Amino acid sequence: MPMRFFLILLLLAAMPFTARAAACDVPAEVMSAARPMPAVARAIQARNLRVLVLGSGSITGPGASGPDAAWPARLEAMLAQRHPGVRVELAVRGGRGVTVQDHLALLREGQTIHAPSLVLWQAGTVEAVRGLDPDEMGEAMMQGLERIRRAGADIIVVDQQYSRFLRANTNIEPYRDKLRLVAAAAGASLFRRYDLMQHWVETGALDMERTARADRAAATDRLNDCLARALAELIAQGVAEAR
Amino acid sequence: MSDDSKPLGKPPGRDLRADLCRGLALWMIVVNHTPGNWLNGFTLKNFSLSDATEVFVLLAGYAAAFAYAGMADRQGWAPAAASLGARIAKLYVVHIFLLVVFTAQVGFSAATLDRAVYLDELALDAFAEQPYRTLLEALLLRFQPAFLDILPLYIVLLAMLIPGLLLRRRPWLVLGLSLGLWLGARALGVNFPRWQEGGWFFNPLGWQVLFVLGFLLGQSVRGAVSLPLPPRNALVTAGAVAVLVIGLLAMIASEAQPWLLEPLPLWVPGFLASMDKTSLHPARLASILALAYLVGAYLPRDGWVVRAAWLRPFILMGRHSLPVFCFGILLSFMVRLLLEVDDGWGMQVLANALCLAALITVAWIGEWSRSTTRRRDPVLPAAAGSH
Repeated sequence: MPMRFFLILLLLAAMPFTARAAACDVPAEVMSAARPMPAVARAIQARNLRVLVLGSGSITGPGASGPDAAWPARLEAMLAQRHPGVRVELAVRGGRGVTVQDHLALLREGQTIHAPSLVLWQAGTVEAVRGLDPDEMGEAMMQGLERIRRAGADIIVVDQQYSRFLRANTNIEPYRDKLRLVAAAAGASLFRRYDLMQHWVETGALDMERTARADRAAATDRLNDCLARALAELIAQGVAEAR
Repeated sequence: MSDDSKPLGKPPGRDLRADLCRGLALWMIVVNHTPGNWLNGFTLKNFSLSDATEVFVLLAGYAAAFAYAGMADRQGWAPAAASLGARIAKLYVVHIFLLVVFTAQVGFSAATLDRAVYLDELALDAFAEQPYRTLLEALLLRFQPAFLDILPLYIVLLAMLIPGLLLRRRPWLVLGLSLGLWLGARALGVNFPRWQEGGWFFNPLGWQVLFVLGFLLGQSVRGAVSLPLPPRNALVTAGAVAVLVIGLLAMIASEAQPWLLEPLPLWVPGFLASMDKTSLHPARLASILALAYLVGAYLPRDGWVVRAAWLRPFILMGRHSLPVFCFGILLSFMVRLLLEVDDGWGMQVLANALCLAALITVAWIGEWSRSTTRRRDPVLPAAAGSH
């Protein structure tokens, strides 16, 4: 296995740079500015915040220590903590292999929750992996976003996860471009999870692909916690913008 | 698209500008096929609504006019059709070979990276789940993994040219049929089917319009019956510049500086989001035609660009585009693996330098082998079938 040996050598050479574990910081240049979130602001004032998360695999927290460690669950806890006295309800719809088309069907059939103030829509990974038409994904998502907007909820579009494997083996860029434009067209905030996770990998804060198997569950928990923290920050920004 | 029209029957020599553009496009295609490569921020797709794929397809049609329509004029339709058939067979075999290499790459990188659990929605390994069916679908071109979508398009375009050659003396009819097919496919949403769901990443029914326009352009330039070339005047120039400037602004707003979109009415990003690549959105077509017009009209045929020593390698690459393209796709797999291991600046420089050097070497070998063949066999028609 000379090739594998070569790779390991390269990995070792890269170690001093990646091992410098930092906190999961959220630099301004990696975050898009939040759009105003008036519905969330009103809901907080009314002491009842209902959040809907649409997504694929990552919303259930695979690889984490338990369902409570997934980023939606962490976000729910953080929102409740930030706003004492406000009843925070967060519902998750979707799961592994669920596409935007499936999410649209859920929205159409009303299989979501009643009148959420905020919808987080995580999309684009399943489509990129299966090589589905990015334009059809964009179209379906525009329809879904329009529906959510008409129902009066604020929206955050959450893009793909970053990983070297995904980047090397799927044609991810067209799907990222599409999500960015679709979010802009719906006046939705964009949570640039891909850029953020890449930043964490590059600064050595969180590198899932180079975490030993034994430590992986703890690292996954931390990743989910960091993502939820950044999302909570984005929501706080959107609420501040709405005032 | 040169306006210095030569007298009929005496076609001008090889247009090095076309070779240069094709060479640059081939290199950009390789770069665009290596996500994580820093050079990705500098390829055509960052500055224009159209990208290197459009350049490649337009010039493929252009070259096909010289190679196959020229051959059909000299020797008749049947030999030209047979030659096209041989080219298609070659491309098909190359495509299947690249597919095997790609599959090996995915397997290798999955094993070395020990991909993390949170990525388990990756269903990339269709080969692991249904090997025999996947193999069959790959042979039918109904299974095309990421990044292996240009060759199938090229294969279908060349196949369409076999009957198309019969109509080569009726350019308006060809143009009408092509536009009709493009618009019809767009309106009805018709595409070539993929195995599991949806259609091809590049819909041949849409993209053929660009190939046909390139073909008609080539016919015009080589002095055969074709459409008149657009005149070189201020009005067309202004239109072309406007198309490109609008495209540039759109790219800056949607990619580099997203905050620029925020104050704009929502229909602007809405329109940008609705622009599809699959069936060649009219804005993309307008963009590549504007670019081709400006290059044709304002880049002198024998100007400094084709004489600059540092651009010489790209001209060579453009001249030997088939081996360079195929080898480029192969190289892009390796560059992806290298960048997967490490994407710091050292590796970026190393991978890109190796990649470009390899492409130039392939082109240079092609040139060398052609010159030696020609010396031995002087009756071979010069430069025919070279793309």
